[in-house]
Amino acid sequence: MRISERKECIAMLLAGGRGSRLKALTEQVAKPAVTFGGKYRIIDFPLTNCVRSGIDTVGVMTQYQPLLLHEYIGKGQHWDLDLLYGGVSILPPHSKPGSTAWYSGTANAVYQNQNFIESFAPEYVLVLAADHVYKMDYKTMLDYHKEVGADVTIAVIEVPIKDASRFGILNTAEDDRVVEFEEKPENPKNNLASMGIYIFNWRSLKSYLNDDENDPNSKHDFGGDVLPAMLRDGLKLFAYRFDGYWKDVGTEESLWQANMDLLDDLHLGFEDWHILSKSAGRPPHFIAETGSIKNTLITEGCEIYGSVENSILSVGVIVEEGAVVKDSVIMENARIGKNAKVTYSILDEDTHVPEGSTAGESKDDGGKLNLYSRGAIFEKNSEERGNS
Amino acid sequence: MVGLCLSDPHPDRAGDGSTIRTLSAARFAGRYRLVDFMLSNMVNSKIFTIGMILNSHYQSLISHIGMGKDWDLARKSGGVYFFPPYYADDRRSVNSELDGPLQRAAEYLNELKTEYVLLADSSIIYNMNYRKAFEAHKKSGADITAIYTKKKITTGERENTVAFTIDENNKVTGIGLSTPNAESVNASLGAYIMHKRHFIQLTAAEKNCGMLRFSRVLLTDALSRLSIEAYEFKGYSAHICSVETFFHYNLDILDINNRNSLFDFENRQIFTNRRDSLPAKYGKQADIKNSVISDGCQIDGTVINSVICRNVKIAPGAVIKNCVLQDDTVVEKNASMDCIITDNSVIISEGRTMMGYRTYPVYIERGRVI
Repeated sequence: MRISERKECIAMLLAGGRGSRLKALTEQVAKPAVTFGGKYRIIDFPLTNCVRSGIDTVGVMTQYQPLLLHEYIGKGQHWDLDLLYGGVSILPPHSKPGSTAWYSGTANAVYQNQNFIESFAPEYVLVLAADHVYKMDYKTMLDYHKEVGADVTIAVIEVPIKDASRFGILNTAEDDRVVEFEEKPENPKNNLASMGIYIFNWRSLKSYLNDDENDPNSKHDFGGDVLPAMLRDGLKLFAYRFDGYWKDVGTEESLWQANMDLLDDLHLGFEDWHILSKSAGRPPHFIAETGSIKNTLITEGCEIYGSVENSILSVGVIVEEGAVVKDSVIMENARIGKNAKVTYSILDEDTHVPEGSTAGESKDDGGKLNLYSRGAIFEKNSEERGNS
Repeated sequence: MVGLCLSDPHPDRAGDGSTIRTLSAARFAGRYRLVDFMLSNMVNSKIFTIGMILNSHYQSLISHIGMGKDWDLARKSGGVYFFPPYYADDRRSVNSELDGPLQRAAEYLNELKTEYVLLADSSIIYNMNYRKAFEAHKKSGADITAIYTKKKITTGERENTVAFTIDENNKVTGIGLSTPNAESVNASLGAYIMHKRHFIQLTAAEKNCGMLRFSRVLLTDALSRLSIEAYEFKGYSAHICSVETFFHYNLDILDINNRNSLFDFENRQIFTNRRDSLPAKYGKQADIKNSVISDGCQIDGTVINSVICRNVKIAPGAVIKNCVLQDDTVVEKNASMDCIITDNSVIISEGRTMMGYRTYPVYIERGRVI
């Protein structure tokens, strides 16, 4: 029975992580399913990148809180990935003769899905983290991989040297061949940070995954175990330099900042890339006589009666009369009641700020970023208290 | 029940440049086309087999609907069927007479096991559950159920509105033009439920017919033979059949009550094709009052009482009042417009001033540079 056709390169998306630094935002949903930029979820970025790069076979490995993520991906129709051969496949952990295993690490997740990969008999496998916001042509990276004759190509981005200790840093020779891999080094020797995007030759990856699985000391992680083992054995690991926009949105602060970056450059540098997404299909938004909008992104289904400045509003957000929203990221179907104030905050989906309440601290006065989710308790603001 | 769309071409009256597009494909409320409402009503009423009788200039309608995926109509059983005009024989000459799609539709209906047909007109839009009307139809035992609404008719739609005379037993006894200046008429919504046998008989001699002819001529002739029961719809409805009505009803959705009745997202969503436009972006100088704005827009100017479709750019200093700007319109710096309709991809150059009037909106053709 023919279940698939041969593909030169397929993508494996690591979408099983919680993203625990996002705290309340990821209690109900996995990090790749977190809302971004008004009408997207983070996973739209790697999926769109795959499609735009001509990669039409994508395995999405899920584990943590997968319900919304599975529903969102569906059959892949929103990314033109509902195909007869290939397309998107959701790959949760599963039991098989002799084992019932969760994914114990990034490498183990790919190891457990060998049969899926083999069914396409690919030459190359692109392994991707599914929790970054960026636009990248993986085809160009694959061309580079072939050109330099690498066994592994790792996409890297230059970071300021003072921040380098927060990343996995690649130390490279002049030709960008990797000579050393350092995870969050205290004294970084280089500023090339790994973006969590790898192209492997499938045959060599397969044998390393099997060895890694049998190594009792391994944590089954690409960055920590498999890549260092390949480097020890003298395989050719090359760094592929990327100089576009790339943002890890793993913390509240970076998620907020990446959203705000859209106000400076809506297209993040790729005017013709057109991020694909599952659209909510709501009516266009409405701005009332009493509404005021400055430097803001707003999308379908919103109704604005109050004032909004320097903010990102997702689908179906309601800002009632007299309410003020400033420097904030508001996620789907949140409601901001009459005369309520929201400053420098992230409001999770379905959050309701009641009439006359205050959320967040003033950014201009050096306040810190606050995150609120459904059921959060808000203080009445001072004017309201004075009146009552 | 199977749905069948029977629209009027309104050849010289449509406000959307009907030389290019059929009215069913005209824009409404920013991101929709008129046909979306009819298709969504049918799908929301669990009618999944829908025939579209096509007249002319139907290319953009077909490319909008496609396989019907965005309405959940891409199905193995059922889905959307198009009935375009065609050459009946092998003459293959562009001068030979076109045959009507109605015969084909009749053949198709005969093949289906479904007995009932819902006729609808995509130029009259509303949000309704046809199931209730269908139940009423079966209960009444009438040959035909005609769906209507009580409303005041605006000037632009008078000649195109069919009005019913309804007796105390809720039977339609007369079909005619609406009365000028009447406070309220029983306006047809262009929607009829009947056994397919009646539809096939009524249209047997027709090659092609729009909803107006069907109501005024075919049904009127049949009034003595067939019993027609009236079914009242109480929500908001809009009949778009001219430049004036296109303008009037687009701006009418700035009223939240009309929007809520028409879109009713919680209960009966209106579907349309999805393009994943970026969210709308407002600049630091944007000033927006009482307007509906779609995704993909970049707005740096002033917009008042207007409906803005997808991917429209409005530069700083531009002032837009009482306008309907369709997809990809570009308004350059300091341009000013009042009571203007633009078709797709119109460019209003820097500093230009354009004005119409509420009762005489000015329509700018697709692709024009002013």
